[in-house]
Amino acid sequence: MNSALQLAGIRKSFDGALALDGASFESRSGEVHALLGENGAGKSSLMNVAAGLYAPDAGSISINGAPISLSGPASARSHGIGMVHQHFKLVRPFTVAENVLLANPQPHFASGLRDIRDAIKKQVDALKFSIDPDRRIDSMTVAEQQQAEIVKVLVGGARILILDEPTAVLTDAEAVGLLEIVQRLARSGTAVVLVTHKLQDVKRYADVVTIMRGGRTVATLDPRQSTAEELTELTVGQTSALPERTPHQGGETRLNVGALTYTRADGRTMLNNTSFFVRAGEIYGIAGVSGNGQAELAEALIGAIEPSLGEIWVDGAGDIGHAGQARRREAAIAAIPADRYAYALAGSLPIQDNLAVAQIRSGRYGSVFRLDRAAMRRDAIAAVKDYDVQGVRSVKQKASLLSGGNAQKLVIAREFSLEPEVVVAHSPSRGLDARACAAVHQRLIAARERGAAIVLISEDLDEILSLSDRIGVMTRGAIVAEFERPADRQAIGRAMVDHA
Amino acid sequence: MIDFLVNWLANTPVTAAPYALAALGLIIAERSGVLNLTAEGLMLVGALAGAGTCLALGGYPALALVAAMVAASAVSLLFAVLVVVLRINQVIAGLSVVFFCQGFTGLVGTLAKWQNKQLTGLPPLKIWPLSEIPGIGRILFQQDPIVYLTILIFFAVNFLLFRTMLGLRIRSVGENPGAADAAGVSVTLHRIFAIVAGSSLIGLAGGYISVVSVKLWVTGMTGGRGWIAVALVVFARWAPWPALAGALLFGCIEALIPQIAAAGIRVPQYLMLMTPYLATIAVMIWVGTKDSGITQEPGALGQPHVREERR
Amino acid sequence: MHDILRRAEPLTSPVPASPRGFGRLTLDVRQNLPPWKQAVFVGSSLILGLAISVAILALAGIPPLTLASELAGVLTAENLRGVLIQAAPLILVGLGASVAFRIGFWNLGIEGQMIFGGIFAAAISIYDIGPPATRLILMGMAAALGGALWVLLVVFLKLRFRVNEIIATLLLNYVAMYFLFHLLYGAWQDAKTAFPQSTPFRPFERLTDIGYGVNSGLLIAIAGVLAAGWLIHLSRIGFYTRFISANPRMAKVVGVPVQTATIWIIAISGACSGLAGFVNVASQEGRLTQSYANGYVFSGVLIAFLSRNDPIVVAIVAFLIAVLFITGQTLQVFYQIPFTMVQMIEAIIVMAVASSEFLIRHRIRWIR
Repeated sequence: MNSALQLAGIRKSFDGALALDGASFESRSGEVHALLGENGAGKSSLMNVAAGLYAPDAGSISINGAPISLSGPASARSHGIGMVHQHFKLVRPFTVAENVLLANPQPHFASGLRDIRDAIKKQVDALKFSIDPDRRIDSMTVAEQQQAEIVKVLVGGARILILDEPTAVLTDAEAVGLLEIVQRLARSGTAVVLVTHKLQDVKRYADVVTIMRGGRTVATLDPRQSTAEELTELTVGQTSALPERTPHQGGETRLNVGALTYTRADGRTMLNNTSFFVRAGEIYGIAGVSGNGQAELAEALIGAIEPSLGEIWVDGAGDIGHAGQARRREAAIAAIPADRYAYALAGSLPIQDNLAVAQIRSGRYGSVFRLDRAAMRRDAIAAVKDYDVQGVRSVKQKASLLSGGNAQKLVIAREFSLEPEVVVAHSPSRGLDARACAAVHQRLIAARERGAAIVLISEDLDEILSLSDRIGVMTRGAIVAEFERPADRQAIGRAMVDHA
Repeated sequence: MIDFLVNWLANTPVTAAPYALAALGLIIAERSGVLNLTAEGLMLVGALAGAGTCLALGGYPALALVAAMVAASAVSLLFAVLVVVLRINQVIAGLSVVFFCQGFTGLVGTLAKWQNKQLTGLPPLKIWPLSEIPGIGRILFQQDPIVYLTILIFFAVNFLLFRTMLGLRIRSVGENPGAADAAGVSVTLHRIFAIVAGSSLIGLAGGYISVVSVKLWVTGMTGGRGWIAVALVVFARWAPWPALAGALLFGCIEALIPQIAAAGIRVPQYLMLMTPYLATIAVMIWVGTKDSGITQEPGALGQPHVREERR
Repeated sequence: MHDILRRAEPLTSPVPASPRGFGRLTLDVRQNLPPWKQAVFVGSSLILGLAISVAILALAGIPPLTLASELAGVLTAENLRGVLIQAAPLILVGLGASVAFRIGFWNLGIEGQMIFGGIFAAAISIYDIGPPATRLILMGMAAALGGALWVLLVVFLKLRFRVNEIIATLLLNYVAMYFLFHLLYGAWQDAKTAFPQSTPFRPFERLTDIGYGVNSGLLIAIAGVLAAGWLIHLSRIGFYTRFISANPRMAKVVGVPVQTATIWIIAISGACSGLAGFVNVASQEGRLTQSYANGYVFSGVLIAFLSRNDPIVVAIVAFLIAVLFITGQTLQVFYQIPFTMVQMIEAIIVMAVASSEFLIRHRIRWIR
């Protein structure tokens, strides 16, 4: 078996920050080669270099042993390199066929579209996929969109297929189906690169694994000959355990969500009679495949959108689903949203302003006529210290200069400064490294010990399982099943799929 | 009453054509993801270039219209560089170009002494024998050639955007530049092309106003029609068919104003002159009240594209 | 399958990434650039913009030397008075534009708001409302109210019907202009002259000199600068504006009263423009005329843009634009250069300075 794609000594920096530091990688035809590493280890950057999206600062790329230069994505494709990105590169209002045509241009639109449609059907049959070339992308599920991406790359004649975190958006069953197809593709001669942070996938489906850490490739080995512990140690460096937790006491109901319904402006019903309750001192996890209404539920709970029907009842404040901002503040809900720079931080403003904004109306930072910046600064310095926010040279620096984990600590510092009764956390550890992730989880457990009612919405089943006292499974905008701790992973997985 | 109606409707294509042309040009550019506010300025450039060519050559209106298209495209290249290459805020860049054009055309028109000089214009093209049908003939078959050309251009734009590879690429760049880029489509080149190609139609709209419709050049003569065209594109949800319908609607309103005066109906004239602007705002309100379910607004409208961006 | 443990070292000696010779131009977004470098970029692009303007004027028949001497003439003591009179409305429209831009609202209806400011002030005079002693104050308040109401109409349309404010404010400029014409060619026309002008204001209805050749309009403008400085930098609503412009969705979630603050800020923006209209009709013109608001929309945008929406800097930039205005008037009178030239130069400056932002925000590298 010969080398299909070879990357040697790749360096790449963004705005002075080194993302890839002499990374090397070699994949061969006929094998599934896993690229394993934490978020931010440089896996996606390295593969974006291979796909011609990023120009490396240094290093070389070879195909079948011959050095090549890539002037862009088109030239990578002409060398047979095809990449399925984590965030699909699909034009949503276009059909599958139009997307495939865009990536595989033909001289004439009409005849090209016909030819492409035939090619798609052939690939779909060969892979036993289920997609229709004339469906619009925005009417398809995430798994179908992923199939469209793979077909797009294969129709282009890719002999090297790079899949960036393909199972992150799939249910367990969908992921198994996909990985088996991928394995079959490799057996028929394609070089497959599987970028992932999931150890299970690597152990079960990869022939070779290369591990990345801090922008470098640390090791390449046979996953079947190494233990999970070895792989973890190489990936993370070190791991930290969750703190001890007292058994759940079963306090009074703090939050009750009743028959919540939300219909988007385009007519799609995203929340459909969502009902659940959370008691004091309890973490209620909401599991589900991404796009089943979790984002809308979180937005409704933190007041970013107004639900069409139903109530969000909070102990002491009543129904806040349709209440003004004043009533919402009384309810003391802490919001830790998934997308920090959408709902939690103003990246272009100073850290101290971001910390002060939640309490500005209480008069803590001066009157309507005169702001008390000294008080803001004092509190900000204290909060940065208490919550161990790293990389702060001055509390006047822009919040966007913080790394993901430290930005999340900043959000938690602000939200927890109000001693919240209810906490809404949506994918609170998304994009964080292991240490920052552990810190966030510790804060959530500390809040639980203090007696807060916590809603934890996450697409990461491991996160849900390790933290939650009770788990609700969300499908098509409704809670379809509930599980008590300790919950059975398989049963939850089935509940996520069965009702879909 | 019938006379009034025929006069009014026979004048409508002449007032509607500039709106249609400008809106189509804007649709091409905005479908590529560029928020294009330059229409008011580029129409002035087209109007001045058309009038200037006519005066300098002593006629040749067809050549003048070509000059209008070329001039507007040339100036739009400046806008394209600002927003596509230099990635300046598209509102600031668009406004700057408009006010630059207003200043520049005023300067050139005055210094060259092209103000208020009568132009020959284009004679109407009678499509015999249809042109002899009473009423209908005058309304539909005795218009100038550009009116008919506008209809051809309309179909050409539709074909370009929805039936060619180039159109597919332009729309992909406007909907999701990241995806288009990954598919090997040059975001920069397609956006520049869409701006320049669209601007030639905006220039033609301006040239038509000075050379064919008003038959002279006056500083600032487009009088906000470019802004109305921008609003028209929003009203049309970036689709050519509704844009044509909207252009006819505004053409009707604009053509009505002189007809009312000519018919001797006493309405305060300055209040009457407000109607196109008020009608535009009314239409925008109507768009806002409608359930905005299916919008064709390009997904990346107004967003510059930088590939190597990382958070 | 191979079961050898491969260390991920380069297996071959690195070859140049680009055997075909040419490199690749890449673009990064950068977070921070030292202030002095930013100043160098902005400064050099400003100089470039001015050089282009001078070149165009030279082509139009004004040699740079003539231009320099005219400019020197404008800055002499007696002409400086005219510059200061002109600076007052420019400061006010600059403030109006900058407070609106601070929350990301494109108020391009400055001319319309000036027109309604003038009309409301003139109404106080024409209908003889209030005692002479407080007449000027009443006119100023009416003007502020007129400008605010005219822009709040757009705020209503935007909040209620999602009407784009760029288009709405621009179109309402034309509506305001025709309404002014309707008055000046109709009910409010001065019967004595038959020009499209109102009857002149009485002496106590006019802004006058307050010594040293300074017009009281400038006092209004300076008071505006101080008030806006307090509003933006010291008050709670100023703190809110930063969040509304930086991230409106987040602002709402963390409890910033987005809607209330927006309405107040835009009303203040309109009031500033209305006052600018009042200053123009009550000092320069002394009556309502057809053209007292001409050319102010883009001046407001330019001043706000160059000053980065800071009230103190607004005053400085507005003064420089006033010099440009007065020079433009001189060139119009003595060299028949149309006044639209001023607008053209303003646009060139904005384009040049905006282009420098590209270098500040991006890093361009040539990778071989």
